Amino acid sequence: MRTLRCFAWLMCLAASTATLQAQNFAVLADHLYTMADGTQGGPGMVLIRDGKVEAVRSGSQQKPPDGYTALKAAFATPGLIDADTTAGISGAYNIPADQDQDEATDPNTADVRTLDSFNPNERLLKVLNQYGVTTVQTAPGPRNPIAGRAGIFKTAGIGSAPATVEQLAVRQESAMVFNLGDTPKITYGKKEKAPTTRMKTAEIIRHALSDAKAYEEKWDKWKKEGGDISKQPTRDMKLEALVPVVDGKLPAIFNAYRADDIDTAIRIGNEFHLRYMLASVTEGYLITDVIRRAGVPCLPGPVMQRSESMETANATFENAAILKRAGIPIALMSGYEGYVPKNRILLFEAGIAAANGLGMEEALRTVTASAAKVLAIDDRVGSLDPGKDADIALFDGDPFEYTSHVVAVLVGGQLSYQRGK
Amino acid sequence: MRFRTVRNLCQWAVVCTSIAICAHTAAGQATLAIRGAKVYPISGPPIERGVLIVANGKIVAVGEESKVKIPRGATVEDVAGKVVIPGIVDSHSHIGISPNPMASDSGDVNESSGPVQPGLRALDAIDPADPNIRMATAGGVTTANIMPGSGNVMGGQTAYVKLRGNTIEQMLIQGSIGGMKMANGENPKHYGAKDKAPMTRMEEAAMARGIYEKAAQYKAKWGAYNKAVAAGDKTAKLPDRDLDLDAVVEVLDGKRVVHNHTHRADDVMTAIRLSEEFHYRLVVQHGTESCMVADELAKRHIPVSFTVVDSPGGKLETINFDLGCPAALEKAGVKVAFNTDDSITSSRLILRQAAMGVRGGMSEEAALKGLTIYPAEMLDLGDRIGTLDPGKDADFVVLSGPPFSVYTHVLETWIEGQKVFDRSSPQDLRYATGGFGVADRFPASPRGGN
Repeated sequence: MRTLRCFAWLMCLAASTATLQAQNFAVLADHLYTMADGTQGGPGMVLIRDGKVEAVRSGSQQKPPDGYTALKAAFATPGLIDADTTAGISGAYNIPADQDQDEATDPNTADVRTLDSFNPNERLLKVLNQYGVTTVQTAPGPRNPIAGRAGIFKTAGIGSAPATVEQLAVRQESAMVFNLGDTPKITYGKKEKAPTTRMKTAEIIRHALSDAKAYEEKWDKWKKEGGDISKQPTRDMKLEALVPVVDGKLPAIFNAYRADDIDTAIRIGNEFHLRYMLASVTEGYLITDVIRRAGVPCLPGPVMQRSESMETANATFENAAILKRAGIPIALMSGYEGYVPKNRILLFEAGIAAANGLGMEEALRTVTASAAKVLAIDDRVGSLDPGKDADIALFDGDPFEYTSHVVAVLVGGQLSYQRGK
Repeated sequence: MRFRTVRNLCQWAVVCTSIAICAHTAAGQATLAIRGAKVYPISGPPIERGVLIVANGKIVAVGEESKVKIPRGATVEDVAGKVVIPGIVDSHSHIGISPNPMASDSGDVNESSGPVQPGLRALDAIDPADPNIRMATAGGVTTANIMPGSGNVMGGQTAYVKLRGNTIEQMLIQGSIGGMKMANGENPKHYGAKDKAPMTRMEEAAMARGIYEKAAQYKAKWGAYNKAVAAGDKTAKLPDRDLDLDAVVEVLDGKRVVHNHTHRADDVMTAIRLSEEFHYRLVVQHGTESCMVADELAKRHIPVSFTVVDSPGGKLETINFDLGCPAALEKAGVKVAFNTDDSITSSRLILRQAAMGVRGGMSEEAALKGLTIYPAEMLDLGDRIGTLDPGKDADFVVLSGPPFSVYTHVLETWIEGQKVFDRSSPQDLRYATGGFGVADRFPASPRGGN
């Protein structure tokens, strides 16, 4: 009898789990921002089936079809996309045990990957998710001139089991990160190693890119000459990692704050014909003409970050708005924090941009559709078009108002967060 | 700059000498009427169409536009559709002592030569020309408690200042000696890495006890001496003067409030334990986990000066940061102020600190008090600032909209009847949005070139 009861209970549990996994949602919002083509902000409904956006219906008086669980909110938007952060590899505790963002033992660590340090159970990912951030590009930290490869991940898994990094990955390797300015030279200057100047930082990067080209040519030549294993060139993992960068297959991210450092990034990017973007760009607003001419996107850094060095002294709340007005594609980033708070929140940063020249809708675009396009993941996320991942943030007011709340977050069509639950 | 100097001299005159002289020397001291805004006096309900009358640096009248008569000859500023609140009081700041932009050579916030330094005075290290002070006025801050850092068990004497003037003497609030900074928890333990004390929380508390016991003894010696002299004893031996202990005696005498940096609930309780042992007045600074012991604070009437941060962690003692904490404190009956801990957060966004408290469930009324009268009380300045009432200093802020909206900007900041920030001035705007340093490097307006 006891066995039977236990069995029945298990069956029941299995059934409810199955129901949960197959749950289809209808998101009804007074103000729906799909960020797809067309007018934004009217009432509407998003139907979600099998983890994807099934259909979008505008207008009030929408009724969820049978079999769809209704989720109602004042505002609904695509899940937010943080274009550059260290969340997942730089933990909340800020103790050596949970800090894996900076391999500051060699100024060139092109061979390292975020993927291999990413902790899907990091509590900061949960914090970001609860503020509507569903996708992050997590990148190595600011210390190395050549810091390694970033990856793009969801902030929550689907289902109840703990996710693996592979399950969260949208792109396992999304970009190669280069750092300019104060941090690399201060990091290595303290150790009396190169670089101790901006000149050397640039030289290290140019040298490595040049070597990567030569390395690729050597391998091509070897292959062309028959591929005799005895004559095979020695493998070099750092150069190998840089080959797709010089080939323009893997984008480069140049992290630069001061206007002259941004200019250096452009100089190097153009010299090696890289596919690249500019991150942090604290003084980007001073040289919009130069950036526009380069034709590259910018990832403006968090303006609520305190100015801890001379290179960020000219940070302005209006940076994103000025770059956008100049016609430069932008995606906001939360960046790296070494102290309190351990991570900036994209939702809050976008709010400051919204209130300082960008406006609500443009600010929202910057952290959704525009970010997806800049990161080349717009096939999956960034707008609520049928077929895309059902990553949605629901709010009880204007998403950027200080006093609004995120009431629910969906990742891949499943609730990852519900306020008060 | 010259204009500022003249103006500031005049302000100083108002404060410390004669109102008549100042009125005679500067037209800026004429009666001023701020008319038409929604006024939050804080001491009472908001007034939809209010008027604020200011003369000689003081508030003369506050009330409904239809009921308050504007004196003849008054300069009238029409701010219909705007919002007026009292000047914001930041009860925990490091502006002027922790420089902006941050350059380590000019940082003076933590004297890390020893963990017990009551003789240090913040006022000896504050740079009135630091751009951050102007950035704070751009956020609506008019009064600040500028403190030494939290690297020491006893970090030194804090300074209560108005954000005006070119010297620290012009900034200091007359008749106010400031507070005493203390810290417990993680920060003072940094000495452990140098193989020095304190290495543990136990030692931090022991060190605090040590200095208070010493000060109590010192006080007793001076008491005995003064008594003997008063009784005509000419042989009484003059005790040695000790500048450190003088300042600690002021704490024991209730003249200085202790501002105790403390995050974890058990550290909050340690701060309370010490304050009860030595009978001194305490303000819990930061209080990240203070809501866990809200009842303990409430029954002792100990207020909390809370720091809102965007996400938990960065250090272990802030790992349980929760936006709901200020609301929980309010519910328990604890008075909560919102501070910036600038440079931890920017003074330009001090309104956001309180707004985030509202996001966490606090009432708007308590949140507004947390920017004005509550912090004023924590600095023993509640009778001078913190509300818009006749007789109080004319410190107020004109906002473009509701106090807790992200879209609201500070339009003007006034200290004792003088405008110290005006968003319509391109120069001032740079202190509000950022990039104040570009004027010299890029002579054209940063937006003009694009």
